[in-house]
Amino acid sequence: MIKKDKTVNMSAAEIHEYRMNMLYKVLPIFSVLLLIALWLLASSGVSDFPSPAEVWERTVRLFTNPIKKLNLFSHVLVSLKRIGIALAFDWTFGIAFGVLIGWSPRAKAFFGPLFNAFRAVPPLAWIPLITLWFGIGEFPKILIVIFGSLASIVVNVQAGLSTVEKMYLDVGTVFNASPAQRLFKIAIPASLDAIFAGVRTSTSAAWMVVLAAEMLGANAGVGFLISRGMDSIDMPLVLTGMIAIGIVGAILAIITQFAERLICPWTRKRK
Amino acid sequence: MDEKKKVILKLTHICQSYVIKDTVKDAVENVSFDVYDNEFLVLLGPGHCGKTVIMNMIAGLEKPVGGKIHLNGEEIKGSDSRIGMVFQSLNLMPWRTVMGNVEFGLEVAGISKEERHATAQKYIDLVGLTGFEKSYPHELSGGMKQRVGIARAYTNNPEILMMDEPFGQLDAQTRYAMEEEVLRIWEKEKRTIIFVTNNIEEAVFLADRIILLSNCPANVKEVYDLSDLPRPRNTTSPEFLRIRAEISDNTDLAL
Repeated sequence: MIKKDKTVNMSAAEIHEYRMNMLYKVLPIFSVLLLIALWLLASSGVSDFPSPAEVWERTVRLFTNPIKKLNLFSHVLVSLKRIGIALAFDWTFGIAFGVLIGWSPRAKAFFGPLFNAFRAVPPLAWIPLITLWFGIGEFPKILIVIFGSLASIVVNVQAGLSTVEKMYLDVGTVFNASPAQRLFKIAIPASLDAIFAGVRTSTSAAWMVVLAAEMLGANAGVGFLISRGMDSIDMPLVLTGMIAIGIVGAILAIITQFAERLICPWTRKRK
Repeated sequence: MDEKKKVILKLTHICQSYVIKDTVKDAVENVSFDVYDNEFLVLLGPGHCGKTVIMNMIAGLEKPVGGKIHLNGEEIKGSDSRIGMVFQSLNLMPWRTVMGNVEFGLEVAGISKEERHATAQKYIDLVGLTGFEKSYPHELSGGMKQRVGIARAYTNNPEILMMDEPFGQLDAQTRYAMEEEVLRIWEKEKRTIIFVTNNIEEAVFLADRIILLSNCPANVKEVYDLSDLPRPRNTTSPEFLRIRAEISDNTDLAL
């Protein structure tokens, strides 16, 4: 009631803004409803495409009747654990390496060509070699994820470090900062938004690659669910997996964005 | 008077040139001048005449191709902690708060946290930013950002403080207020100030001495001693206007 009373005292422009804000809140709901409507339409009739009801029923059955003793959440957690380990490596080694080649022209000249060749090879192309060397356990999967997500953080960090504005470094010069101080007190903080862009892109890359790696041989994980669904012609299971991937991917993106706002409060209102 | 006229900084035959598209362009041509202890020296010159280049060379941000700079009788090469700088484009670090920016120089110098906090607080108070210690630069107005830049330069207790067109981007009202602020701070914390500007009125309002530079390549055209002009100066007094007109007639137009 109080909220409605507020509109009485609003100017025309404010009422317009208020209505637009309402619209922006409602539109996403519409798009989801529209998707479900299209889905219903596509699954009606004699197609093999499962209906939303079938997928929902399959999802519930995944909890009552787990596959390999794991329900949907547990499969998601298995995949998340894999990217968690891979990202921990990416973010330590990848940031360090990105800082090195972004900051030192010599290191860039030395490692640059090799790194560019490495990042041109898609992660899935490593599977034969990695399988040959390490078999099909947990480690090779994590390695594939690392190979698929490392480049994005290195590239972003390197770009950030090599484009630190001279005016910030000048401040260091005037105060006689040591080379280490220039790096840790100026260049790295100045690159934090680029580093976070790397964190975001490496997270989404890792999430995509882990699913592909799991589809090629795993006993658990969301990718495994999809390949299991494909093998047993269980399309509702495939769709359950796909929806889980989409939702988890979106949640990961929101978390990294939130972390950036928390850690870099100065980027919040720059525009 | 002799005591007051102690030379603190000496520039002799300073030259600077750059290679731009295979041609050598001279920016500074044989500039020599002395800076006296605790004076307010203004380097006045038309836009892009090489004023900032001279500042950068004194600050050690670039090396002159010819000539020498002496501080207290000894030659300096590169940056020196006895020389502080307020930058034209402020150069505040957006990831640091006001406090973080002001204490940056002390942090780099390895001063303990309590000590640098106390010193930074003193200068934050001096420039009138008390209460904004935890604000980020993007939350401040143009004049307030300038105050942060001035406090940061003061905090390391330099003997010479250089200000490179610090108020060029401020609106006229804020600019007048900041000029008075700088004089107030200078009266309270006496240092040698080298202030660069292209604004004649600003120069006459602030300076003990004005060094008038020519168009690019910069050389010293004239030196005006205004130490007899009483402070605070009235920008509309006949004496002020006379000096202003005299300098104005002698100034090269910016290209």
